[in-house]
Amino acid sequence: MKRLAVSLGAALFAALLGAALLELGPPAATLAPLVAGTLAQSGVTHPVTAVLLNFRGYDTLLEIAVLLIALIGLTAVARRGEAPAATAAVEPVLTTLARLAAPLMVLVAVYLLWAGAFRPGGAFQAGAVLAAAAVLLHLTRLLPAWATPGTWLRAGLAGGFLLFLAIAAALLAEGALLKYPPAQAGLLILAIESGLTVSLGLILAGLFLFLSEERR
Amino acid sequence: MTEPLPWLILLPLAWATATFLLGPGRGAWLAIAGIAVQCGLTFALAGQLLAEGPQPHAAGGWAPPLGIALAADGLAAVMLLLTQGVALLLALYARGYFAPGDQAARHFWPLAGFLLAGMNALFLAADLFNLYVTLELVGLAAVGLVASGGGAAQLGAALRYLFATLLGSGAYLLGVALVYGAYGTVSIELLLPLVDADVPRAVWFAAALMLAGLMLKTALFPFHFWLPPAHGGAPAPVSALLSALVVKASFYLILRLWLGPFAPLAAAIAWLPALLGSAAILWGSWRAIRAERLKLLVAWSTVAQLGYLFLIFPLIAAPGPALAAGVMQAVSHGLAKAAMFAAAGVVIHVTGRDTVAGVAGVAGRLPLTLFAFALAGVTLMGLPPSGGFLAKWLLIDAALAQGAWALAAVVIAGGLLAAVYVFRVLRQAFLDAPAVEAAHPAPPLLEWTAFALAAASVLLGLRGMELLRLLSVGSAG
Repeated sequence: MKRLAVSLGAALFAALLGAALLELGPPAATLAPLVAGTLAQSGVTHPVTAVLLNFRGYDTLLEIAVLLIALIGLTAVARRGEAPAATAAVEPVLTTLARLAAPLMVLVAVYLLWAGAFRPGGAFQAGAVLAAAAVLLHLTRLLPAWATPGTWLRAGLAGGFLLFLAIAAALLAEGALLKYPPAQAGLLILAIESGLTVSLGLILAGLFLFLSEERR
Repeated sequence: MTEPLPWLILLPLAWATATFLLGPGRGAWLAIAGIAVQCGLTFALAGQLLAEGPQPHAAGGWAPPLGIALAADGLAAVMLLLTQGVALLLALYARGYFAPGDQAARHFWPLAGFLLAGMNALFLAADLFNLYVTLELVGLAAVGLVASGGGAAQLGAALRYLFATLLGSGAYLLGVALVYGAYGTVSIELLLPLVDADVPRAVWFAAALMLAGLMLKTALFPFHFWLPPAHGGAPAPVSALLSALVVKASFYLILRLWLGPFAPLAAAIAWLPALLGSAAILWGSWRAIRAERLKLLVAWSTVAQLGYLFLIFPLIAAPGPALAAGVMQAVSHGLAKAAMFAAAGVVIHVTGRDTVAGVAGVAGRLPLTLFAFALAGVTLMGLPPSGGFLAKWLLIDAALAQGAWALAAVVIAGGLLAAVYVFRVLRQAFLDAPAVEAAHPAPPLLEWTAFALAAASVLLGLRGMELLRLLSVGSAG
């Protein structure tokens, strides 16, 4: 009965939403020409990176803070007990392949970071690939699960955000939050994205590795 | 440091990250120093507003719609003052409350810092998508604070809170996407002239989604289900932060949208929030009167007091003191509820029991704490000269001026019901109780910060005019 009511409610909601969307014409204004017109002053040539790191860089700053508190909240509730010892051994083929794949994934991450300036890529994608490498190594028992983060791990987790924050504060001298001088914009964005790649990789990996029960 | 506005966001982010780097449970004094500087910055901002009018700030140096606009007006400044003031006293309280090595304190300082940064960013934002990011910052930090170091019951409450807050911000985000689809911008300033009473159905849908999502986050009846366990189960400094400040953030956003872009749409449904608010006052008070546990009583009282905030919506379109009444209620309840949770925390620390019955005999042992609880109760009941009295006076004034007798009656009934649950605790405190040998001594820092918060909530009534003058700066007046 309850399930039926929820399903009916969801269906009604979807129908209303669909009807509202169908009625909607093209928007009165679109931002694409504006972004294209100002791209030259942004320091990068890819519009997505320009929006994320320059035009709406302040949003991105706060989004990194959201990811960081998600991780802090998770370490606050993660169980700190003795985990059961690993039982079954991992297939040797899997281990060998993981050993081969991990360095390549790091290479891909660096490429994605560098490519973000002029084609799809950037810190979020590069960080996600780094985190995937860490998860892969963990699943093949080459990397143990993480317990309470120590000083170095905390510095790695927060370092990228701290660098971003420091640059945002320093740029207040230009007259506004995160207002890059056009000549240095490209370099500053690369510095921010490099820091974020490392920290996002660690944060995303941490979301998995702090919760994992398998320790070696 | 020429401009205080961006520093109000950057500074708490900086000290929050620094306390995380310092390690679990450390950095209390850094946090307190940071909040003290934020208090100074807020006063500087308020001075600027009174002298020069509203302060806009284009983040990145890009004007909207390309960039993100920040803006400070009187309404934002009042909420910032409330937030920094309550946070400073509660930070001192938390410093005394958490024993060294306390599990619940391990992540308190970074999470509280990110929470304050999110609140300040929310009050200063003038961009619908940026507001969504600040909502997530506030929501996730608050959930983390509730969950930290707790047992199974507390984790359950935190999880329920997480689902409620994510559903609320998800609905808000869907609304923002629809607005962007309709108008191609998320800047509040640019949306103002675009929205009129004759908008596409998608925008009505968006407004309904955004307001409903925010009402869920503000725990308006019948969306209050997550609040009592989350606020009643967390450690006292966390309960106080959440009940005094966090629920006000989403209310502030409702007010912004209601007075701003959605004003042409809102008039048609203005009675609905008032109806739900009235129900919240009656139901919340009733549950507070029946509560067995002391902190649950205080938490249910929050459900009731939040109801008053929504009574102003049918009155707000006409000129009158309705907005002033709502903001005064938000500020005085913020101070009083922080004081009440702080005082309840002292009582529970000393007696070791979180029950209303356990308050027996407290009058003799903790006179200062009991006095703080009673003063906070004076504000909640709305007795003069408290801020609560001023809020209710303005609300009744606005209601009678527009012939809304029913709203005035609800306000008076709510005051009487508040008196019942406040006096229920006070009466118990004066009963004789068998001497407890294992009672902990009460740290003076805890007692005095609770008292300072309560005294501020009462004295607010005497300085209300200055606050209302600040409120009238900019469009909100």
